[in-house]
Amino acid sequence: MRLWPAAAVAAIAPASAFAVDYLSAEQAARLMFPDADTFAPRELALDADQLRALEAQGVRGRSARWTVRVAQHAGATLGFVVVDEVIGKFELITYAVGIGLDGAVRQVEILSYRESHGHEIRLPGWRRQFVGKTAQSPLRIGDDIANISGATLSCTHVTEGIRRIVAVVALTRRNGALA
Amino acid sequence: MRRRHPLPALRATAAAAALLAANAFAQTPTEAELARKLDALAAELANVKAQLQQLQQQKAAAGAPASPAAPAAPATSAAPVAAAPVAAPPAEPATVFSGYGELNYNRPKASENTQADVRRFVLGLQHRFDAKTKMVGEIEVEHAVSSADDPGEVEIEQAYVEHQLNPTWAVRGGLFLVPMGLLNENHEPTAYYGVERNFVETAIIPSTWREGGVQLAGSFDNGLALQAGISTGFDLTKWDATSTEGLESPLGAIHQELSLAKARDLSVFGALNWRGIPGLQLGGGLFAGGATHGQSAARGRVTLWDLHARWTPGRWDLAALYSRGSISNTAALNATLIGNPTLIPKSFDGAYLQAAYKLWTHEDYALSPFVRLERFNTAKSYADLGTGLTPSPAATERVLTVGANFQLTPGVVVKADVQRFRENKDNNRLDLGLGWSF
Repeated sequence: MRLWPAAAVAAIAPASAFAVDYLSAEQAARLMFPDADTFAPRELALDADQLRALEAQGVRGRSARWTVRVAQHAGATLGFVVVDEVIGKFELITYAVGIGLDGAVRQVEILSYRESHGHEIRLPGWRRQFVGKTAQSPLRIGDDIANISGATLSCTHVTEGIRRIVAVVALTRRNGALA
Repeated sequence: MRRRHPLPALRATAAAAALLAANAFAQTPTEAELARKLDALAAELANVKAQLQQLQQQKAAAGAPASPAAPAAPATSAAPVAAAPVAAPPAEPATVFSGYGELNYNRPKASENTQADVRRFVLGLQHRFDAKTKMVGEIEVEHAVSSADDPGEVEIEQAYVEHQLNPTWAVRGGLFLVPMGLLNENHEPTAYYGVERNFVETAIIPSTWREGGVQLAGSFDNGLALQAGISTGFDLTKWDATSTEGLESPLGAIHQELSLAKARDLSVFGALNWRGIPGLQLGGGLFAGGATHGQSAARGRVTLWDLHARWTPGRWDLAALYSRGSISNTAALNATLIGNPTLIPKSFDGAYLQAAYKLWTHEDYALSPFVRLERFNTAKSYADLGTGLTPSPAATERVLTVGANFQLTPGVVVKADVQRFRENKDNNRLDLGLGWSF
């Protein structure tokens, strides 16, 4: 079975330096865009039409107000970072999503996880599933994103959150609110 | 996460804007460069304005009473809107209520035994004392009514304090679920297929199984999760040889649930799970300890272990589990029970294979048919008591369950299945269920 060698390698691999609780938003942003010299905050306010457009894509807008950090190098935009929080099962999960200029997810980082179970959503293997996903991707558990047994709610809610962020960034870039 | 006051950021941005402006005039830029810098300056100015406006709003909000219409649950509260560099998180409540419940209808082949039941109604409470310390509690009522004349039970299912020692390790103390199998720690009706919990994880692993003790839980960056600890265990001295309860679930008949639990003999336990590949879980658990507490002439020890795997590629949800239990010294323990219908078995085991497929989804609706094959034996062997006295091992029961879970919304499930028993065909039944979890 091919999985066993992979399991053995994973078991002896050193722990990632960043896959810990309480990675700060700044650390996450720098991790995602190491070349950026500025992370300029942009306050976005979605209007009713935009929220309806999100709903039409199957994305619950949740909030009309979003803060997006625009990663820039010498004034040129490299991409976008959004820090958000969702409820896992009982507690808040703080996570960050980095999105490139092509609209695709570049990186996902879990900044803090407080549940008693399901810490595995911090594993690079699970987060890597999101890399390259765009607003056109399903971004759903049991579709293009695999679940973690025992952490279904955490996986589902973080995946929903990332789908929402990808859609919000795509929408606001289309309408020029996020240049 | 620390909440930072946005003023320094505001000052820094203003300073940067001023520098940029000074820089723009210090050189002799081309018109295009100048236009770009002006654009950048305008953007910075817009940011400063936004931050200023936000500060004013925050000041106003701090002075105003909380709106009664404000959503209570953080999941629905506004996204972080505080100024950079750190977005302030929505206020996190220190105390969170949760709950789950299930109402079941079972219609066996002998239809006169058809029953409808509030199988369980559970209220959970979690309180966070600080960023590292929390209490988790659950109170459960089984079968709707508990009184001297009713079969219901009121139970404390969990009551523990968890303290995070570092990002890898946490310590739990109190009454907690034993990490064994796939279901015991994830036993909400929305988390498993079928109206009733599977037989292996009720008859062999006595779910919902909890003990009182101390547990270390570590989760490593390579996907391994390790749990190990010391706890109370079973009580063989309460084995009722006149009842068939021990044949239905040997460990279910002698678990103590931390209710004035005999605790002279403690048990040790450990569980290792690996989830290094998304969608895959491989693991096992072991629990072992004395169970006679110095109250019996013969000493008996209970050991239970399991191996399990779950794989959820795409729409599939595949699971397999094997569990085996044994009780030591049962020849001596049974010596005084000879002649009764239910003696203490030496070993018991069970296994199942399960496959579910998410066949149809529409918005939050999801229909997942499943099939489960189980075999289990609650009295696989007995210690030799001599010819004519040693009970025959029980027949291994095989159960085929076919049904579907219909998810109404992620926290609510409607279930239906049929179960076919190989040995005791009178148990063949139709099950309907409604469950929720939040």
